[in-house]
This record gives sequence, structure tokens and C-alpha cells, in this order.
Amino acid sequence: MHTLIVEDETSLATELMHFLAQEHYICDWASNGREASEKIAVNRYDFILLDLGLPDYDGLDLLQETKAMDHDPAIIILTARGALEDRIRGLGLGADDYLPKPFSLLELQARMQAVLRRKFKLKSSSVAFHGFEIDSSTRRVTFGAQEIVLTKKEFDILHYLLLHKNRILTRLQLTEHIWGNLLEDDYDSNYIDVHIKNLRKKLSAHATTDWLETVRGVGYRLTV
Amino acid sequence: MRLQSKLALFSAASKVIILLLLVVGLPLLVNKVALLNADERLLQKEAKMYKIIEEQGIGTFITGETGDAYGSYNLFREEFISLEEISSGKVVNSIENSLRKVDNEIVKYRVLSSTFDLGGKRYLLEIGRSLATIENNSKTLQGYALYFLAAVVLLTVFTDLAFSKILLRPLTLIVKRLQRVEHPSAFTPKDLKTTTTDFLYLNNTINAMMGQIQEAFQKEKEFIGNVSHELLTPVSILQSRLENLLSDPDTPDAMLEKLVDNLRTLHRLKNIIQALLLISRIENEQYLRNENVDIPQLAQEVAEEIKERAEAREVSLQVEMEADYTLEKANQSLLFTMLFNVVNNAIKYNKPEGTILVKGQPSAQGFELLVKDSGVGITQEQLPHIFSRFKRMHAPDGESHGLGLTIVNTIAHFHGIEVDVQSRHGEETTFRFRFPKANLPESVAFSGNWAQNRV
Repeated sequence: MHTLIVEDETSLATELMHFLAQEHYICDWASNGREASEKIAVNRYDFILLDLGLPDYDGLDLLQETKAMDHDPAIIILTARGALEDRIRGLGLGADDYLPKPFSLLELQARMQAVLRRKFKLKSSSVAFHGFEIDSSTRRVTFGAQEIVLTKKEFDILHYLLLHKNRILTRLQLTEHIWGNLLEDDYDSNYIDVHIKNLRKKLSAHATTDWLETVRGVGYRLTV
Repeated sequence: MRLQSKLALFSAASKVIILLLLVVGLPLLVNKVALLNADERLLQKEAKMYKIIEEQGIGTFITGETGDAYGSYNLFREEFISLEEISSGKVVNSIENSLRKVDNEIVKYRVLSSTFDLGGKRYLLEIGRSLATIENNSKTLQGYALYFLAAVVLLTVFTDLAFSKILLRPLTLIVKRLQRVEHPSAFTPKDLKTTTTDFLYLNNTINAMMGQIQEAFQKEKEFIGNVSHELLTPVSILQSRLENLLSDPDTPDAMLEKLVDNLRTLHRLKNIIQALLLISRIENEQYLRNENVDIPQLAQEVAEEIKERAEAREVSLQVEMEADYTLEKANQSLLFTMLFNVVNNAIKYNKPEGTILVKGQPSAQGFELLVKDSGVGITQEQLPHIFSRFKRMHAPDGESHGLGLTIVNTIAHFHGIEVDVQSRHGEETTFRFRFPKANLPESVAFSGNWAQNRV
């Protein structure tokens, strides 16, 4: 996946590129609007991560410019300005998603995958692991012919862990993913532990679940 | 009461008072005028009589046949003239009321008496007019006068009404324009077509002040945007960096826990910033209110979203909705956040095996939603401060930013919902949301206290 990161903050762009490179994305970086405009005109990107607050350009203009071209990259808007009309206008102008800063890199990757699946209509939405099969479009988990009934939150946790397989996910990352940002007074990681416990119970009725590890003091990891 | 009604009432009342004064005073006045009139006529007749006597001599009236007196009545005894010779030397010249007996009937007359000397003899001339006739005339006069006055009063009341309506039209226009504006940010200044300088001044002042408010709001909005960008960008960089470190296989295991701790602290900072920004944005009217939100359904959605948390804490969560209610001009996601926060608190500060009841019921005011928990409660000293910023009540882990209930209060206020809390320490807490009456008709809003409705 050829990706352009349009971001004026060098440090953030560096972290994004580092993370996406690990996930096998090929990354380009433009630190201002003019540079981004040139790069978009020359290269055929699959993905553009667009910061709206550029020093020399209104990010929404850049979005319009990109949309006017013959090829159609997927675009996710990233912004720390958080103005509500930006979100509405951005999606109205054809952005595929909108992620307010600060965001978790894992959340960004999950969104990118979802956009790709939607945009390029990936046929298979189901993934098999350790004898189980999880289908993200029908939201079903099966073991052989048997369906395992999970709650919405349990499904979301399992799906997120699988999406980021072999990587430690903190309770905080899982909490933010399944509850969204509700601006709670404080978050309680115990809820995640309860969900994981229930999830293990339901899955272990069919097969062992030692692939769903607890990393002490850190979080959980699904190894494949 | 509207100014126009007040003016109309005042005009009508003042005219009615004038009319009443006239009704009381008119008979006296008219009687007096009628009497003066009658006296005038009597004097004229006296002059006429003297003229006749002078021209034709007293013999015309007093002859040997009639003796020494003359008298004449007209047919209905309304008037009489008498002339007689008197012996006494008293000179009389007066007009007064007196009773006369005519054909065995006593009649009240206004009588002019006058003596004169002629040919060595003294005569008394009396000219009378019946008082009944005089009063009759005056009554007719009074009647006509009253009808006329009443007509004048009615006419002027109506013309006053119409005129004040025309005169006050610019004011009505200003009021209507203000009514349509839900918030100063939605106000568009307009010119007013009127020659009344007071209204022009009023309109211009409102335009100018609204302009100032809008400018202040715009500046605040830009400020919020800048603060948001400047504070959240570093947080974003740090979060990405820490997450990258966390997933780096070269990071030693001993470091992982520290990284997680750092992420927690960063999350706390992020939450405080976002909570403050949310409150500021709501107060800055950046959120739309363009949805109709079914409150019982919202309560169900919140319960559905949160029920696993309640289960995890072994708290039973029950939703009872006794009435339908739709809040118009609302923001669904803000209301969700509001209710979620309150129910989440009810779970967090509950006791094991505790209960939570989310109850919707009709109220005198419209609709109310109660969130009642069997939790640790809030002390009386803390109760007045729970909606204040940064007042941490009973956060067990010390990581609460104390803005949760401030957010709840801000969202409620943004929707015109009243919130109050009742609590018994150690036993229960009840949050009550009182929703505004649905579908307030325009006419009610207009004739009522429109300004108060919109504060």
C-alpha cells in the first residue's frame, strides 16, 4: 500500500511512518500543502493521511484537489483542531474517515483496514485462527460448524486483538476501542478483564485458548 | 402585558373616566344652562310687555271689564302672564321659583316679578314658565349629549388602538426577530423602516450589541481551535511514540510496565484537555441541535451499552419508561454522553449487589428522567458542589478529573434540561433530569414571557 502522510509535525510524521512501515505500508511524507499537492499530482497513492492544519494550505482544499484527480486514493483526515464543521465538511468532500488527534496508532490501522475493505470491496471478510473463524461483516465467530455467541463488546475485543495479532494491547487501548471516547471521569480497566474472562470461557468450551495471553501489568496479546 | 395592550387599555380607561364624570356632572350643568335660558326668555318677554304697554297703554290689559287685573295662560299652562294693580309701595324685581294654583292644580313655575308705576298707580307684572317644561327640555338635551359623548369615546378608543398598532409595528418586528433567534450567533442584523427615532435607536443598539457578542463568540471559537491544536498535537506525538516503543520487540520487558503507566498518565492529560474543550465548545454553541431525540429509547441505548459494566460490578440495572417523550432540537450524541456519564457514575459508586433504576415518567412540567442508585451517596456538604469543575467527590482511584458531572450539567443546560441531585449519604443518590415541555406553541411563547423562555 502506497501511502502519503501529510503532516507538518515532524515528530508525529516520523512515528506514523515508523508504525506503518512495520505494518508493510510504503510511506511518503509531505510536511506542507505545496509539497503534498506536488506529490499527489506525480504519484498514485492508495492512501492519504491528511492533517487539516497545514501552515500554507487549507487541508480541505487539498482534499478537493485530490478528489478531482482521475485515480481515487482512500483518505483519512487527521486533525487536532477538532472543529465540528471540519468533520462534516471533510466527509462531505469525500474523505473516507475522520480521526481526531490524539489517536491510537492501533485505532488508525483498524480504520485504515476498514476503509480499504470498504473501498476495494475485499471479498473475504473472515479470518481463521486456531480452528476458530471470525467474520467481521456478519459479526459471527464459529468453531467448525458451531457458532459461538459473543456479546458486542466481546466480539469487538476479539476482533481488535486479532487485527493486531502478535502485538501487546494495553487495557487502555482496548477500552478506548470498544467504548469510544466518552470522556469518562476515569477509566476502569477491570471491565476489560471481565470481558476477557468471559471471552476465554466461551471460547475454551471448544478449544484451548492459550493463544490469548495475559501480559502481566501490560495487557493482552493474541498470538498466531 | 404587551405595550400595545397597555396603551389601548389606558386610552379606554381614561375615556371611560371622562364619560363617567360627564354623566355625573352633565345634569347639573344642563339644568343650570336651561334655567339661565329660561330666565333670558322671561326677561325678553318682560321687555316685550313693557313695549306693548308703552305703545298701546295699560288699557289694553286692564279695563273696566276685567277689573284691576289681567291674566293669560297658554293652552297647556306652560307659560302665563299676569298684570295687576297693587296697593303696597314695595318695589319688586326678581326671578324665582314659586307655586301657583291654576284651575285647581298646583304648578311649579319659574316666575319673573316686576313692579312699575304708571299714571300714579303701581302695577305688578308677573311672567312665568312652568319648571316641568324647563326640566323636560334639559332632559332631552342631556340625552343627546350623552349619546354623542359615548360615540366620541368609542370612536377615539378605536382610532387610538389602530394608531398605536401602526405606531408600535417596528417594536413588534424587533421582538419577533429576537424571538426567532435562539442564540446571538444566529442573529443577522437588519435595518428597520420607521420614522420613530426611539425604535431606530433600539434596533441599531441591538444590532451593534449582537455584533459584539458574535465577535466575542467567534474569537473564542478561534481560541478554542488554537488551544485544541496546540495542546493535543504534543499529546498525539507522545502517544504515538509510546505506542511505537510498546510494540518494539527491542524494548526490554521491564520497560513495558513503565510505558503502560506513561500511557495512562498521558490518557489522563488527554481526557482533561478534551473534557475542557468539550465544555467550552458546548458553551460556545459549536454543537448543532437539529435532531429529535426519543428519550426513552436513548435510555435503552445507554443501558444496552453499559449493561456489561453493571454486570461486571454485580449491580442490577433496570430501565422503566412510563411515558413517551421526544426532545426536539437536540443533539443525540451529547445527550448520550450525558446519560452515559450519570449511569456510569451510578455503577462506579454503587455497592456490591446494588441496584440502579433509570426511570422516565410524565411530570407536571412535561417529562422527567430519574437515575437512582443504591450507592455510597454524597454528603450534604458536597452536594451543592458536585457540578463544579475539578471538584472530585469520591473518586476511589484518584485519577478522576472531576469534570464528568460538569459535562453532564453543561449538556443539560445546552438543551434546557434542569438537573438536580438528591442523596442520602451511604444509602442512595438520585439524579433527576427535568425536560422542557414538548412542542411549545408559537403563540404561547409569544404572549407569555418569551424572554424568560429563551434565557
